[in-house]
Amino acid sequence: MSLSVPAPLVMMRGIEKSFVGAKANSDIDLDLRRGEVHTLLGENGAGKSTLMNILSGLYTPDDGSIFIEGEERKFRTPRDAISAGIGMVHQHFMLVPTQTVWENVALGLEDQPFSLDKNSIIAKVRDIQERYGIHVDPHAYVWQLSIGEQQRVAIIKTLYRKADILILDEPTSVLTPQETKALFQTIRQIRQEKHGVIFISHKLDEVIDISDRITILRKGRKVATIPVQNASKESLAEMMVGRRVVFQIGKTLQNPGKVVLKAKDLVVRGGRGIVCVDKFSLELRQREILGLAGVSGNGQEELCDALAGIRQIDDGAIVVDGVELQGKPSREFQKKGVSYIPADRIGTGLVTGMNIRENIALRKYWRKEFTRFRFFVHWENIAGRTGQLVERYSVVNPGLGFPARMLSGGNLQKLMLARELADDPRVVLAVQPSWGLDVSATLFVRETLLEQRDRGSGVLLVSDDLEEILSLSDRIAVIHKGKLMGIVEDPDSASEEQLGLMMAGTSLAEFLPDDVPPGHVPVRAVP
Amino acid sequence: MKKFILALLCVALFFGVSAAGALEPVAPKDLKVGFVYVGPVGDGGWTFMHEKGRLEMEKAFPGLESFFVESVPEGPDSVRVMETFIRNGARLVFATSFGYMDFVQEVASKNPDVVFMHCSGYKSAENVGNYFGRMYQARYLSGLVAGKMTKNNVIGFVAANPIPEVIRGINAFTLGARRSNPDVKVKVVWIFSWFDPAKEKEATLALIDAGADVIGMHADSGAAPQTAEEAGVYVVGYNNDMSNYAPTRHLTAPIWNWGMVYETIVGQVVDGSWKSSDIWWGLKEGLVELAPISSKVPAETVALVESERTRIVDGSWDVFSGPIKNQKGEVVVKEGEKMTDGDMLGMNWFVEGVEGEIPQ
Amino acid sequence: MKYRIVFRKRFRTGMIFEGVLPVLSVLAALFLAGVALMFFGVSPLEAYRAMFRGALGSWYGFSEVLVKTIPLVISGVAVGFAFRMKIWNIGAEGQIYMGALATAAAVRFLQSSSQFSMLLAMAVAAVIAGGFWGCIAGVLKARWNVNEVITTLMLNYVAIHLAEYFIYGPWRDPSSLGFPMTPPFPPSARLPQFLDTRVHLGIVAAIVLVLIFRLVIRWTRWGFEIRAVGENPKAAEYAGIRYGRNVVMVMFVSGAIAGLAGMTEIAGLQGRLQPGMSPGYGYTAIIIAWLARLNPWGIIIVSFFMGVLLVGGETIQVIMRLPLASVQVIQGCILFSVLAFEFFRNYRVLLVRKERN
Repeated sequence: MSLSVPAPLVMMRGIEKSFVGAKANSDIDLDLRRGEVHTLLGENGAGKSTLMNILSGLYTPDDGSIFIEGEERKFRTPRDAISAGIGMVHQHFMLVPTQTVWENVALGLEDQPFSLDKNSIIAKVRDIQERYGIHVDPHAYVWQLSIGEQQRVAIIKTLYRKADILILDEPTSVLTPQETKALFQTIRQIRQEKHGVIFISHKLDEVIDISDRITILRKGRKVATIPVQNASKESLAEMMVGRRVVFQIGKTLQNPGKVVLKAKDLVVRGGRGIVCVDKFSLELRQREILGLAGVSGNGQEELCDALAGIRQIDDGAIVVDGVELQGKPSREFQKKGVSYIPADRIGTGLVTGMNIRENIALRKYWRKEFTRFRFFVHWENIAGRTGQLVERYSVVNPGLGFPARMLSGGNLQKLMLARELADDPRVVLAVQPSWGLDVSATLFVRETLLEQRDRGSGVLLVSDDLEEILSLSDRIAVIHKGKLMGIVEDPDSASEEQLGLMMAGTSLAEFLPDDVPPGHVPVRAVP
Repeated sequence: MKKFILALLCVALFFGVSAAGALEPVAPKDLKVGFVYVGPVGDGGWTFMHEKGRLEMEKAFPGLESFFVESVPEGPDSVRVMETFIRNGARLVFATSFGYMDFVQEVASKNPDVVFMHCSGYKSAENVGNYFGRMYQARYLSGLVAGKMTKNNVIGFVAANPIPEVIRGINAFTLGARRSNPDVKVKVVWIFSWFDPAKEKEATLALIDAGADVIGMHADSGAAPQTAEEAGVYVVGYNNDMSNYAPTRHLTAPIWNWGMVYETIVGQVVDGSWKSSDIWWGLKEGLVELAPISSKVPAETVALVESERTRIVDGSWDVFSGPIKNQKGEVVVKEGEKMTDGDMLGMNWFVEGVEGEIPQ
Repeated sequence: MKYRIVFRKRFRTGMIFEGVLPVLSVLAALFLAGVALMFFGVSPLEAYRAMFRGALGSWYGFSEVLVKTIPLVISGVAVGFAFRMKIWNIGAEGQIYMGALATAAAVRFLQSSSQFSMLLAMAVAAVIAGGFWGCIAGVLKARWNVNEVITTLMLNYVAIHLAEYFIYGPWRDPSSLGFPMTPPFPPSARLPQFLDTRVHLGIVAAIVLVLIFRLVIRWTRWGFEIRAVGENPKAAEYAGIRYGRNVVMVMFVSGAIAGLAGMTEIAGLQGRLQPGMSPGYGYTAIIIAWLARLNPWGIIIVSFFMGVLLVGGETIQVIMRLPLASVQVIQGCILFSVLAFEFFRNYRVLLVRKERN
């Protein structure tokens, strides 16, 4: 090594970390230079988060060393890492909702006098905002802010602590395209100031857009570190997955049939009694995928809970196959053929402590073919059915009597698909169906949904991944703060920018040219 | 097989019953005695005094072996405890709380060659006797002291369970207190437990709040005297001299002297003279006593206690001699009459001067 | 070179391990308690022998362990049933008292010379009363999401005082000279006892209840619903299982079973209702259900084990002249180490060599 090269900002060498016998990180090296954006790329479970948790002091490595500007450091607690200039913005920002922005920034600061010097803190916050172009009112309460704005607070918080090394863990998953653009501006500004940024993502377009260098991890090992000039979407994907990936999904045109699900002026309240879905109406037809785009947390989950009959609605009507179901127990929705793939597989969709048979039985045990002597579960029939389904949906499993928690994420999702789709439901509500899955499982999920559409189901696809929505949907609805922003009848006609603006709260009507009568364009405004 | 066992049992029963007719004398070294205690031996009160009696008994009969199980619930568990004694050689069993009564009967009927003595109960059998003391006599004497020492004319009474034994004690205490101070009222708080230091303390504090400046008690621990000491009010203990719990506030205490009963009964069993009987001894026999009276009590009161005590011991007078009025002021025991032991054993009403209710 | 201790969570435990661990834990407990006993100046071996012989060394001791096991198994099933749904019924004690109170009421008001109809009436009364008592907490939980731990615990006191009100008051035996207890039950209202021991018909009830518990949880639709709610309430809601209705039903059944424990206890052993009729069976049942990991067979084993501890503990007091406190130390040591070994069931302890290069 030549002496003229300055020591890198961060140098991680031979990092090892294992959990429960499984190696999460195995002999990983990583360098971060001043003034660079270095992306960590990998599928879920590739070890990105573990590596960054080690760097930020949350985990101690089993082996390996960390050098900051050439000096070896050992982080026993996150505080050690912070004092070494490392700031991490987690996927779930650790903010206190009932406090203001400046109070959150001040929270946990060391060497502060007993009473905080409010004015100097605010002045410093404003200074940071100006320098990096991050805009958020220091006096606003955190609960008033959108997710994107909260993320900015988290970034300000780390910059306030003079973070030299900024780690951003999947920051764009909660942002609209416009917010992503603003974030990238900030990141570039930070790079300009000669700090270092580690950026974690699995969205390849973004990665190529923002990075200087890219390190690809696979199954806990480092595959390569390459400069962005040498990277293409295809080559990155191949390194990430370990084989060639085809990005095209064979989607054929279908003629939608009659309306199977109709929601009219739905009003739904969320957990804290706040209206989450506000006079929302839509119609879902047979043989179509209706994509519901929106930044996550804008009422999508509450809407789907309501459409599945799990959440009480305040007002409005839900009609499945011509039958009004609002106010009925969710079992009635199931009987009418409403399937539901909730976003939270482990917390809601499956019982991981129960075995695979029991998970298949979860939403079917009450059916006649699975009941014996009226009160008893017909476990033999369930076992038979489970065997068929596991094969048909290729759920890799150690045995049907083993608890579901022993399945990998992708197989858990396949198990849920098997249960929800096997009986050709009339309506499929799929929320973030490929979230957190690796590339091959994602492809499987998407193909299965398309196949289900072709078999005659109406599919409502909720996702915050615009790429997923655009590639699968026949029509796209956009939701913002529980309100329908409009339905784009022809996805090909909509630009990502236009959808992004709608996700940020601009009604579709504002894009319509005044002189064209409604109905003659491929897009339709909210009535 | 079942029939065979049944037949065997009948034979055993026959011999067992016939054996109960006459008790063979036994040498102390061949006699084992079991004690069933309702509380822990360290309760500083009821069980503590029985344990003291047991140790005195052991001393009086060298070679005799005795054992106990403490904190035995007054339920079916006591049966097994007594059976365990017997299976380990006990020929004499003392059950020291009222709640064991039915269970003593149950075990006694199955073990006719074992002598049972039940404290404070009323059911007897050929091999079951009862023993208890005329605690009311000592309570009356302690009442004389308490009545003298109250300034507010309000005495508080921490009472365990509303059963005749306790009611009798409260009545005797009240009669004594009003003898030395006719304006006295005795306020009663039930704690519905024999041994519950926390509740005993709570009740004491409640009574002090209600204006009591002397506390009397019928409970098994020293919690009430301790509390009284802390609050600075006088207290009349119970079971044993509780002055160590309330060094400056303890006036006196009606106390038990179980050792003499145990010695007597063991003596009878040893020489083969034991017969089922109901022992109800008082000041005269020495089963109940009054602990030393505090020096804070005026001399004339001490003299009054002495003269009343003499009257009781020589049998010329007893506590429940008329005229006695109940809470409504109706005369229950007429002038010149005396309550019978039977009436006293089932006493279920308060005398005039008691403030409180007996749960019905 | 340095070593350090690492705890790793286990995902699976082998069958041998499941069998060996309890034995190891009991051995460790005996060792621990043995050290304590030496401080009391007692030979641990002798104490253990006395304990074992007292509880299991004779037909009588064994029968008494069974007598003790009966109420523990029944209330263990009651508690375990609710716990399976993660409904924390801390109120078995109160439900036992309500069952006993209703039993006494049935005896008082429905005198029948037929033993069968008398016992049946008593059992039905106990089941309804205990179930009703459980239901109160269930309805409060289902309707207003009131924490059942608090309601069931508070209802214990209410039930015990209610029973005492009747025992001290209107139902007091007039011939008891004012002592608090109901009149003795007539022979037709007593559960038959077997073979000159105190083992009564309740043992059949206990076994049947364990079998039913197993059957319901494993094979019925309702049992599946209960397990699903217990494992993951959100998933159960998603599956369309009605939470509120199940809470009320489970609390009813749990309370009803506990009520039956009250009935068997007073009809089988005491023959009348007295204050303090349950020495905390309802609370011991919680420990039992936990140690048994809510497994029906486990409840039998753990209850029997508890019975051995209690009966053997009395024998030690008699033979070794030990104070109750020392017996409780032994019992505490055993429970402690059983619980501690629970940790080793869930975690592996590894000695990891740290190598520095």
